[in-house]
Amino acid sequence: MRIGIMSFAHLHAESYIHNLKSIVGVEVIGFSDTDPVRGDRASREYESRWFPEHEALLAERPDAVLICSENANHRELVELAAAAGAHVLCEKPIEVSCESARAMREACDRAGVHFMTAFPMRFDINIRAAREVMARGELGEVYAINGVNHSENPYRHRAWFAQKALAGGGAVMDHTVHLLDLYRWFLGSEVVEVYAEVGNPFYPDEIDVDSAGLVTLTFATGVFASIDCSWSRPTSYPRFGHLKMELFGDRGALSVDAFAQHLRVWSGALERTPSWIGWGDNPDLAMIKAFVASVHEDREPPVTWRDGYEALRVALACYQSAERGEPVALGSPPEG
Amino acid sequence: MTALRVGIVGAGTMGKAHAVGWSATGAEVVGVAARSQDAAAPLALSLGVEAFGSYDELLSTVDIVDLCVPTDLHCDMTVRAAAAARHVVCEKPIALSVEDGQAMIDACEAAGVRLFVAMVVRFFPQYRAAREAVAAGQLGELGVMRLKRVAYQPIGDAGWFIDEARSGGMILDLMIHDLDYARWLGGEVERVFARSLRSRDPGAPADYALATLRFRGGAMAQVEGGWSYPPGVFRTAFDLAGSGGLIEWDSDSSESTHRRLMPEKPEGVGRVGVPLTVAAEDPYTTEIRHVYDALIHDRPFDVSAEDALAALRIALAVRTSAREGRAVTLEEV
Repeated sequence: MRIGIMSFAHLHAESYIHNLKSIVGVEVIGFSDTDPVRGDRASREYESRWFPEHEALLAERPDAVLICSENANHRELVELAAAAGAHVLCEKPIEVSCESARAMREACDRAGVHFMTAFPMRFDINIRAAREVMARGELGEVYAINGVNHSENPYRHRAWFAQKALAGGGAVMDHTVHLLDLYRWFLGSEVVEVYAEVGNPFYPDEIDVDSAGLVTLTFATGVFASIDCSWSRPTSYPRFGHLKMELFGDRGALSVDAFAQHLRVWSGALERTPSWIGWGDNPDLAMIKAFVASVHEDREPPVTWRDGYEALRVALACYQSAERGEPVALGSPPEG
Repeated sequence: MTALRVGIVGAGTMGKAHAVGWSATGAEVVGVAARSQDAAAPLALSLGVEAFGSYDELLSTVDIVDLCVPTDLHCDMTVRAAAAARHVVCEKPIALSVEDGQAMIDACEAAGVRLFVAMVVRFFPQYRAAREAVAAGQLGELGVMRLKRVAYQPIGDAGWFIDEARSGGMILDLMIHDLDYARWLGGEVERVFARSLRSRDPGAPADYALATLRFRGGAMAQVEGGWSYPPGVFRTAFDLAGSGGLIEWDSDSSESTHRRLMPEKPEGVGRVGVPLTVAAEDPYTTEIRHVYDALIHDRPFDVSAEDALAALRIALAVRTSAREGRAVTLEEV
């Protein structure tokens, strides 16, 4: 199977290219990037073929592509890939507007290619273990979830994360979607109401998007849940951040720290010290393998366009709620 | 200096905790009152003081009353103590309504006596240390606070806690600690939004709430409160993030000792959960010592009755938001 990466704008491309190379039966064609500085650097760093034009990569007829551009460029690249007959794994959030997200789906449907949303935490072994505990009924009926997905400010690594035109927003856009997707997956229910407080308390003089968000969600089943999506970890923090959730049910409670499996390392040779260095299974690799398998077997991927779309809808509703200072009801999702 | 005479009212978990505190002061505990002399007797006996079945009788023999009784009794007992010109120490929350709380403050002021509301979390060493770091500017401007306080539903004789008409419910009784702490650090609150669940099913008891606070200064806080763990579990945590730094603390990782007892010797579970910190002095004693020093030297309390009333306002706003499903501004309460 021949796979290409479209754009190295997103940090995750660096992880995915290693993942792809480690999978038997996958040939990495290379990557496209219209930014000459980034393209040249990445081609040397990852010893991979660089296509300065996306069309040139697609002319190689890849079976599938990974789309790692800025959020607001997803639509253009998905439409190009679909027209070239390539199945798509697309970074989250899948776009910055529902209209663009729907256009992406239509393009994939027309071309008969599959679309998978990159939600790697669904493939995290700790998260899966927690979901199994819940699914076995050990917690009884779950009535609330409290979750955090904190990080440092990603603009230090990629400036576009804090540019509204390219990212669609800040911390809320970046970090609401992972936990929201896990909640939907755990609960098997859709969000019916969103309340959010949003602000930029951490970098008021440096960026003009939100760096903090506290989100309260209500699901159709009545379960309520919160997400703290803030870029609230300082750059001196021993790791980028974390993802944790605690589930409360009428028979018990469960807390899961997805990145608990780490070493605490003190070393002058490290960028920051101490550093928390993960030693557990790599959820990115598990996700890429699942995508490759779905392409190989020509079946619907395990995380769908719909999953990415619902997460985007909720993220956008957060901004709406914050603007109004009131909860926002989410209408029924469109057909499909 | 003549020792002030103290009467403890209520012989439950808090009455006992305060009694330990008073013994570390120069005060003279002269009696324990409860709903009956029999109910007061065990604690009175252990302190070697008189047991009273009548509040008025106790009032007549003391300088200070320490009210460790269900919340619905706070207002009436405080007003009567003020009328008898006694200082009042009162467990939190100050009252069940803003009107009652204000009436207590007014009555004490009119009578020229002091009123201390026992917002004990302000006396816990880790909460004080974090507050000092914030006040010293170590975090820059506060951005997002996360506060956790989740225990188990009170059991047995402590059942009045789950009677909302008596205690105000979990939000007023338990979450109020963190609402007060959030205000201490973040200033006045503009609005709140909350979701909650209550279950009276004896097989699955639960009270749980998630509240979001927005401060006038722009900061925000998520406050989690619950009586929703299995009996014996009490977890607390805070995570304070600012433009210049971060403080993390949680009770799990601060436990310096871990007991792993054989099943035939189960750990005793109190009727109502109390957070514990291994320290030379327990925070309840720190609190009572502070109260006594402030009283005999006529100095202000570290936490005023007005602070306690402000915390109650936030708790009432949270409860209203959870009930009505909308954001509630503090001006409405």
